[in-house]
Formats: sequence, C-alpha cells, structure tokens
Amino acid sequence: MRKATVTGTVKGMLEKIIAVRGKANPTFVDATRAKLILKGLNPAKFTTSTPDDPELVARVRAVAAEFGVNL
Amino acid sequence: MTKTQIATSSHPEVETAVAELRQGLRGASPRLVLFFASPRYAPAAIAAAMERAFSPAVVIGCTTAGEITSGAMLKGSVVAMAFGTVDEVAVQVVSGLRAGTSPVKEALAKLTRHFGHAASGLDPNRYVGLVLVDGLSGAEEQVMDALSTGSDLTFVGGSAGDDLAFRGTHVFAEGKAYEDAAVLAILRIDRGFAVLKTQSFKGTGRHLVATRVRTGERVVEEFNHRPAAEAYAEALGVRVESLPGMFMSHPLGLMVGDEPFVRSPQRVLGTDVKFYCAIAEGMELEVLRSTDIVEVTRAALEGQKQTLGGLAGLVNFNCILRTLELEKKAQSEAYGRLFSEVPTIGFSTYGEAYLGHINQTATMLALR
Repeated sequence: MRKATVTGTVKGMLEKIIAVRGKANPTFVDATRAKLILKGLNPAKFTTSTPDDPELVARVRAVAAEFGVNL
Repeated sequence: MTKTQIATSSHPEVETAVAELRQGLRGASPRLVLFFASPRYAPAAIAAAMERAFSPAVVIGCTTAGEITSGAMLKGSVVAMAFGTVDEVAVQVVSGLRAGTSPVKEALAKLTRHFGHAASGLDPNRYVGLVLVDGLSGAEEQVMDALSTGSDLTFVGGSAGDDLAFRGTHVFAEGKAYEDAAVLAILRIDRGFAVLKTQSFKGTGRHLVATRVRTGERVVEEFNHRPAAEAYAEALGVRVESLPGMFMSHPLGLMVGDEPFVRSPQRVLGTDVKFYCAIAEGMELEVLRSTDIVEVTRAALEGQKQTLGGLAGLVNFNCILRTLELEKKAQSEAYGRLFSEVPTIGFSTYGEAYLGHINQTATMLALR
C-alpha cells in the first residue's frame, strides 16, 4: 500500500500570510506578495499539489512569525 | 506650511559650505532637513555643523558617491532639502548592524509609538519611511527585511557611499556621524506623496535558478546546478572570461510580475559570482539587458507627475552603477536636466531601498 503524501501546506501558509497582511487591500496584497518573493518564497511557485517539505514548512512558519501572522 | 526648498554648496570648507546651505534655505522653517554630503567633508564635522545650522529641525543625512540637485549631477558637494510639506517626523538610529542583531524592529516600534500607533496602525497614505544605511555594512537586507515584515509603511532610501573608495560610509542624525548604523525616519505628509522605483532594463527571457548560495556573503555558487559563472556566461552567450564586462548591461532581475528587482553582479570569484545584494537559494532570476536610463526615468517622472497632479519636490536615491553608466554614455547632463523643473536632491548610492535591498535602480520620494 502506498503511503499518502501530504501536499499543499506551504501554499496554504503563504496564502494566509497574504490574506492577513493584505487586509483585503489590493495595494497591501501586492506588497505582501512582493515581500515574500524578495524573501525567496514566490507564492506562484507553490500549488495545492506541492509535496510538503518539512524544512520548507518550518521556514515558512518562521516567516509567518516575522510578519506577525499566526498560522 | 512652507514650500519645499533646496540648496547646494561645493565649497570645500565645512563651515562655509553649511553657511551657504543656510543662506540658500533662508526663510524656511521646516520640520525636516535632509542632506547628502560628499565624503570630502569630514563626517563628524559636517554632521555637527548641519545640526547647529538647522536645529530645531530634525536633521538627517548620509555620505555619497556623488550628489544630485535640480538640473545637475555633482561631485564634491553637499545638497540639502528643507521639507516644507512634512507635518511631523520621528527618527531613530540603529547601531551595530554588522553584529546581525541590530534592533530594527524595536526602533520601528519606537517610531510608530511616537505617532501614537502600533506599527500596523499608521496609514500608508499619510506616512512614509526613509531609510539611510551605512553602505559598507552589508546589512541592508536585514534592515529592509525587518522594516518590510514589521510594517505596512513604504520605506524608501539608499545606502551611503564614499566616492567608490570603499573605506568608510556614514549616516547622520542628532548632529553625529555613524558607521555600522542606519537612520530610520517616519514622515507624516498630509499633503500627499508617492514612492517611485525605476530601473532601465528589459527581460531577455533567459532564466537562472540559484541552486547553491552563500546568502550572507551575497555569493551564488551554482545556477541551474552548474558553476554560477559558467551558467551565467552561457545564458549571455559569452565565455566566462568576458562575463565581468557584461555585468553592468546584463544584471539579473528577481521578477515581481513584470517588475524586476535588480540584483547586480559585482565580480567573479573562481567559479562563483558575488553580487551587490543577497540572492536566496531557489530564487528564479531573469537575465536583463539595459535600456536608456534617461528616457525611462523621464517617462517614470512624467507618470508620477500626472498621478500626483504635480511635483513639489523629489528625493532621488540613484544607484552608483546607474551614475557610472550615465557617465560612460555621456548622459549625466541629460539625466540631471530631468530634474530641472522640480526641487530635487539625491545622491549616488551603494544600494537602494524599496520593499527590500535592490541594485541599479533609482528609488524616489515624490512630494505633492
């Protein structure tokens, strides 16, 4: 039996950071997306099918904390 | 409310140069005086003299690799702006940048508390941040990262220069000159402002992914899982030996939509490439090619003028690499003339600040 692979966690975390810091304001949404890209985390590069990498998940969790976002 | 005024002096003596600035700004009673000084002036002396001349205004500034004023690019001068449209200003100095533990977020919290708010409570349409960083600290990424994650405000600014001597760059506040430090300011400008970022490059459609890096050293060891210099040269269709000659015209862009955040290569180190700002592992970058700085900047300024309904003042943080390219193409005078109609000060920087630390860009604060 194949072990199920957990996917999409990073995508979900990044989208939450964008939603919280974007405050439904398009300017803030764009700025937050740009700030993530400048930190090396391009939200467009992750999908709900992206397999979870524990190191990356931990890194995004730390970035969320820097942004003051509780995941 | 007074109008925004500028003054310039090229007198070699600090006291006389500052006296000339004071004469040029006579009648102004601003809350903020911003100045950019050639490293020919002893940093501690000019910091103290400017404070004496313009107190009780808040006086901040930094050293340069060349100055900009309305109509001209200068060397060996000091330029100053008295902000007539700044309603309130708060300043913090952050020291000890090289130690990597500088309290940028604490300084940000103090700044925003000055205005009676938490960091997230200031209206980005009324408040803007200025940031001036020791250009040899290598700490701009850390400073901008803390400001960007800690606030919704836009921080614009640049890294202090020293005429390409790379011996010592200084930021100024409270009548003192600081190394290994950043000056942070938040300005309340009820009349309106905009932040402008412009660079003169187009994408080539060729991409490099940083697959092995030493981020803290701003070094890329591998692009696309190959030695960085080799992969970069191949993307440009040249031999590795010819790569440094292509750096100025073909830096790399971290693309945010169609907008490049430029990463400029500094030199080849064996098979590695060292940049003027950090590149994170996994970043996909596009190889850029340069276009016309004067024409692109002219269009950007015209667009901003339309958006704001006129420009009352400009502060231009212009990358030293742009200045060198303008000199190489004999376009310095044409670039200076772009600012003839607007009270402008600026300087040639060792890095520009807008959301992050960037290169080969001009970031500007435009006042309505």
